[in-house]
Amino acid sequence: MTLLMMELLSGALFAIGLYGVLARRNAVLVLMAIELMLNAVNINLIGYAAFLDPGRVLGQVLAIFVITIAAAEAGLALAIILRVYRNRGTVNVDEINLMKW
Amino acid sequence: MELAWLIPAMSAIAFPAILLPGRLLPRGGAFLAPLAILGGFIVFWIVLADFLATGNAGFGITWLEAGAVRLSWGIFIDPLAVIMLGVVTFVAMLIQVYSWAYMANEPRFSWYFAVHSLFAAAMLTLVLADNLLFLYIAWELVGLCSYLLIGFYFERRSAAEAAKKAFVTTRIGDVGMLIGILLLFRATGTFDISTLIHLAQTGGIAGGALTAGMLLIFAGAAGKSAQFPFHVWLPDAMEGPTPVSALIHAATMVVAGVYLVARLFPAFEAAPAVMAVVAAIGLVTMLLGATLALVMTDLKRVLAYSTISHLGFMMLALGSFGLGAAIFHMFVHAFSKAMLFLSAGSVSHGTNELDIRKLGGLRRRMPATALCFTVGALALAGLPPLSGFFSKDELLAAVLQGRGGVFLAFTLLGAFLSALYMSRVTLLTFFGPLKREQEHAHESPLLMIGPMLILAVLAVVVGFLALPLVSGYGGFGHVLEPGGEPFHFKVWLVTLSSILAAAGLTLGWLIYSRGALSADAVRARFPAVQRVLESKYYVDVIYQWAIDHVVLVAGRFVALFDRVVVNDTGVNGAGASVVASGMRLRIHVTGLLANYALGIAVGAVAVAVVMWLMTTA
Amino acid sequence: MASLVAFSFLAALVLGAGLGVVLTRNVAYAALFLLVTLVAVAGIFILALAEFLALVQVLIYGGAIVIVVIFALMLTRIEEFSRVRDNPQKPLAVVAALAILGVLTAAFLQFRPAVATLRGASLEGLGKELFTRWAIPFEVASLVLLVALLGAFLIARTGVDRDRDRDRDGDAPPEGGGR
Repeated sequence: MTLLMMELLSGALFAIGLYGVLARRNAVLVLMAIELMLNAVNINLIGYAAFLDPGRVLGQVLAIFVITIAAAEAGLALAIILRVYRNRGTVNVDEINLMKW
Repeated sequence: MELAWLIPAMSAIAFPAILLPGRLLPRGGAFLAPLAILGGFIVFWIVLADFLATGNAGFGITWLEAGAVRLSWGIFIDPLAVIMLGVVTFVAMLIQVYSWAYMANEPRFSWYFAVHSLFAAAMLTLVLADNLLFLYIAWELVGLCSYLLIGFYFERRSAAEAAKKAFVTTRIGDVGMLIGILLLFRATGTFDISTLIHLAQTGGIAGGALTAGMLLIFAGAAGKSAQFPFHVWLPDAMEGPTPVSALIHAATMVVAGVYLVARLFPAFEAAPAVMAVVAAIGLVTMLLGATLALVMTDLKRVLAYSTISHLGFMMLALGSFGLGAAIFHMFVHAFSKAMLFLSAGSVSHGTNELDIRKLGGLRRRMPATALCFTVGALALAGLPPLSGFFSKDELLAAVLQGRGGVFLAFTLLGAFLSALYMSRVTLLTFFGPLKREQEHAHESPLLMIGPMLILAVLAVVVGFLALPLVSGYGGFGHVLEPGGEPFHFKVWLVTLSSILAAAGLTLGWLIYSRGALSADAVRARFPAVQRVLESKYYVDVIYQWAIDHVVLVAGRFVALFDRVVVNDTGVNGAGASVVASGMRLRIHVTGLLANYALGIAVGAVAVAVVMWLMTTA
Repeated sequence: MASLVAFSFLAALVLGAGLGVVLTRNVAYAALFLLVTLVAVAGIFILALAEFLALVQVLIYGGAIVIVVIFALMLTRIEEFSRVRDNPQKPLAVVAALAILGVLTAAFLQFRPAVATLRGASLEGLGKELFTRWAIPFEVASLVLLVALLGAFLIARTGVDRDRDRDRDGDAPPEGGGR
């Protein structure tokens, strides 16, 4: 196992997550895809921490912050999705176009 | 002497003070106006005392500085300014007292006094200003006040039209004046009057620029002072309340033009061609006013044309290098003509009539008014030893010395006509049998008669100021032109002018009192002259034709240009193009989250690619 | 060698389950795929000698976040629960994802550090670092969490109030229902 492998894994997972964000209609699925992207970032950070950082902890600290933000984001996103569903009866992102011209 | 700025400042403060919190005070706070001008008059004496002790002075504060250009709010005090300060504060004060009774029943009583205050402030600022820009601001302000006061009875269509006419006509001159001021600024880089005069005298301004600049400034002066061909607004300005006519259109504002030429006199002297124009315009205006005053039937209009004529006299004197004579005539004329207008106001107050054909014999009902008016008329006619006699004499001497015999002959003719029309209007109004419809005429209240009597006394005595009364005082003209020769009579000229004045008065008496000569017969004899005079030399007709056929036609083209190019293409076009492009551009605003996310992704890729290309290249 | 085998297996699991998350038409399966992915990523962390992070990953992601996501699915009773459709911009999404993949791969291939040896960090070192040098960001992060949870609470609660008012007024279906 080398650094490059982890890097490529993280890149691939990021691309998969991005595809999910762009292609999915259901807001919950979009949320899941975002979690995938965050995980891809975490893999990358852990990889650099394990292979490059002299103290070996910097990437891990950052990963902890990412996980914290991810948790906050998931909670907020759930609340917003519930709200949207109550008001509009749907969670499909392409039916929520109030910001249209 | 630093207190001088207080004189206009007090009236300037009175204007908002009357308008804003004034309604809480008794009589709308109008009493603040006379108080302010009384304060100004008191300060004037302090300034006069200082001036006699120390001489000329000037000071100011810097307003703004841009590069080498320095603009200041400054005041300059010399004999000319002191004389004007005295005349303006004194006459304005008397006229405000008079107005207190005259305007008592007006609904816009406090507005009248507020504008009066603003006028006094602007006029006094104009007098004190030490640079042309400052002067021009005050100049426009007095024009605005004139507009507001002529249009005081704006419910009456004729008054509104007259106000507009006065404003627009003087504006034509004012634009010229502004161009002239800027032209001089371009040539010298300064607005400061004393610097400009110094440069003009030492040849620091190119001859062409100086001539053009002074000519344009004279256009402004001619507009304000109702000189031909701008004289048409002054007779119509009589639509305003009579005290306004007395203050603005006889004693103070209309002499602003004369004052301006006098203020820049050395610069005008450096441009002899302009001086010739000034003299010629003055002469034409003088004769035009005098002949028209002969045929007018409205008491105030007779006085208005008489004012035009006498402003012509002043300009003529200036054009003949007679600074002292012109200012002395202005000084004398301010008192006597203000008094004549106040008397006319008294007549209209007592009879509600100003048509001299319907008036007559009023001395039986209004003896004090009749006395004042007669004194004023005689003074203006130049009967010795009233004030007009002295000023006319100085004026004739100046014209003879500066312009020669031909001008003198016409000036004498003007003096003769002055006497004739003054006797006509006096005799028709106050003498002869009392007309039946004037049985109920009554004398005016003391508050009106008082100022008239004070001015009447002055109209009799101020003429003696021309004489070197005490040692060290070389006569009025000598104060203004210290280098000139002291006052002395030219006996043959004095005799001639007195005889002419007496002849004019006698002729008037023969025609209008004795009926020895019939004016109607003269009219019938010269129908053409009659027609030309009654249509006021067709000047108004020509202007109306020019407005209809030139200005309005050109205006229509400009309006078309404005509508099509400026409005449709420029203003609406800009808006329409934004709307149209917005209609097309808004398609990208789908409101769909996924589209935006895609945009972000593509953008991130694009940034990465560009950065990669930049680092490898 | 063993680690390489383990890594290959875990990487295949991460990518396969990840693809499952974004490709499956059944929302419930997607949630399960997500759980698999997250746990497999925790395995990767262990291979990278970050045991504490692996623990955090399983606890927070595998526990809390997946449960939150499943709650979201349950509370939004969508009709097409088992057969969701995708966006019309799906082809463009493929292109964008491939472009990102290309850019990232190119960047990773270009970035070749001189020394890259695998070495683990002590949990003690991580704790010291977190509470000394990173103390302020750590506190700020806790504040962010607090604010986010309060915000989530407010957003959800006001909605409940409004719906209750509507129901009392006899406005039986929620606002969205009358759309």
